[in-house]
Amino acid sequence: MIEFQNVSAAYEVETPAVRNASLTIADGEFVAFVGSNGAGKSTMMRLANNLLAPTEGCVLVDGVPTSELRASQLARHVGFLFQNPDRQICCDTVREELEFAFRVQGRLDARAAKLVDETIERFGFDPDAEPYLLNRGTRQLLALASVIVGEPTTLILDEPTTGLDYLECCEVMDVVSGLNQRGATVLMVCHDMELIADYAKRLVVMTAGEIIADGPTFDILRDVDVCERGNLEPPHVVAISQRLAAEDSGLAGTPLARANTLDQMLEAIDGARQTGKGNLR
Amino acid sequence: MIELQNVTFRYREGTAPTINDVSLLIPDGQFVGVTGAAGSGKSTLTHTLNGIVPHCYPGDFYGKVLICGSDTVDTSLTDISRMVGSVCQDVDSQMVSTVVEDEMLFGLENFGVSHDEIDARVDEALAAMGISDLRERTIAGLSGGQRQKVAVAEILALHPAVLVLDEPTAELDPVSSRSVFAQLKEYATQRGTTVVVVEQKIALLGEYADRILVLKNGAILLDGAPSEVLGHADTLLAEGINCPRSTTLVERLRRRGLHEGRAARTVDEAVDVVREVLA
Repeated sequence: MIEFQNVSAAYEVETPAVRNASLTIADGEFVAFVGSNGAGKSTMMRLANNLLAPTEGCVLVDGVPTSELRASQLARHVGFLFQNPDRQICCDTVREELEFAFRVQGRLDARAAKLVDETIERFGFDPDAEPYLLNRGTRQLLALASVIVGEPTTLILDEPTTGLDYLECCEVMDVVSGLNQRGATVLMVCHDMELIADYAKRLVVMTAGEIIADGPTFDILRDVDVCERGNLEPPHVVAISQRLAAEDSGLAGTPLARANTLDQMLEAIDGARQTGKGNLR
Repeated sequence: MIELQNVTFRYREGTAPTINDVSLLIPDGQFVGVTGAAGSGKSTLTHTLNGIVPHCYPGDFYGKVLICGSDTVDTSLTDISRMVGSVCQDVDSQMVSTVVEDEMLFGLENFGVSHDEIDARVDEALAAMGISDLRERTIAGLSGGQRQKVAVAEILALHPAVLVLDEPTAELDPVSSRSVFAQLKEYATQRGTTVVVVEQKIALLGEYADRILVLKNGAILLDGAPSEVLGHADTLLAEGINCPRSTTLVERLRRRGLHEGRAARTVDEAVDVVREVLA
């Protein structure tokens, strides 16, 4: 569990990056942090991993203030994937990169070696390959693999799919989603509303360092006021559904007015065609 | 006008050409979106336009690139940069100053823009990107997205004839991404600037570009108007490009025999199709 209790943080004294943020993230949740640029989303991620200390308030991981935990202790539980894998990768081979966290924590034992081998096999990596000669998508996967190889219970992802093409993006998100289904907590900063709609169960919306909304993903994405204040655009299917409902009051409450996904929208269109209910006037 | 004549480029350490026999004509003022899977040659294509290839990256270069009639091989990088303004994929590698205003001034002063004009250029470019309030801020204190807007603004201030941008919205929130494209489009239309923009967000290209190029293995796979290119949903997906959901919805309706028209590019167009289907 991660708790933010009245947390504020700043990089420049006169410009707080996060102001008085409070929220609790339970074990196993998949939470996306969204909002305009400079809203404080990445700062929240850094606070959760104690890469940044709060100027006020307290961040607790499993009930323990992060200020009382050493970086190595925290790293065992909270894995952090940077947006740019090149800021994270630091070894000469893929195997060394995957072993890195174990080595610096003094845990490079037989069990760690087994986890590294399993990860190499699972991702199909060449263990002797030089990381910087891999393409961007593979480097991002390597960075992700080097975080999850240590089996953290919480995964923090700061825009994990920026710069990736769609197939690479799906590959990364499928790994993350699998971990979440096996119980890992996921905190993710992301600007891709379609991706968020596909994966996140809860959205935290930030603007100018403050949390302005926090709730189930599609409740937030259907809230026009919150989307406007948070510089968000609803995913296309939600926008189509909202537009149709706005143009015809007779659609209120019908599946067409509630469709959030492509399949739901196609089903709603089929239903409306078969029953005549919801046909547009 | 930009003209590529049978351009091939292979990086010195590469085994296969990154750009492979590309011929292309881009008229003045056209807004061209370039997309494709990772490693398809998008960034290298932009490097052939701004002269980084062949001037900076070692490798084998064949063919000819003409920018406003000048052959990039025979033109110095300085002279190319007066015609072609570039925004890099990694904007941090572009920044040279610690404060936004100084960053804006760097290019203008180096290009010898008169002092009478500089202030107005900085004001105009910052306003165009909606970041006038960041003028006095330190770059280190900006978010990734804010730095990205600064990187675009400092190039806009130089008034180049051609703008080449490599994923300029990668770190931007959805509304800012759209506003960058809207502002680029407006800026380019007003000034007659040619824009070549590499972008993974194909929904933005569908909405704002006059033309979309899809690259595969360094060659042009698809080249056409957005509605034409988006009509090839399966080909695009096979190349790691996910069509906008509006396009996919309309495509599914088409496959069910419920729609016969062209591919939808935007939410508005998809709404029109759904209304037709349910009429």
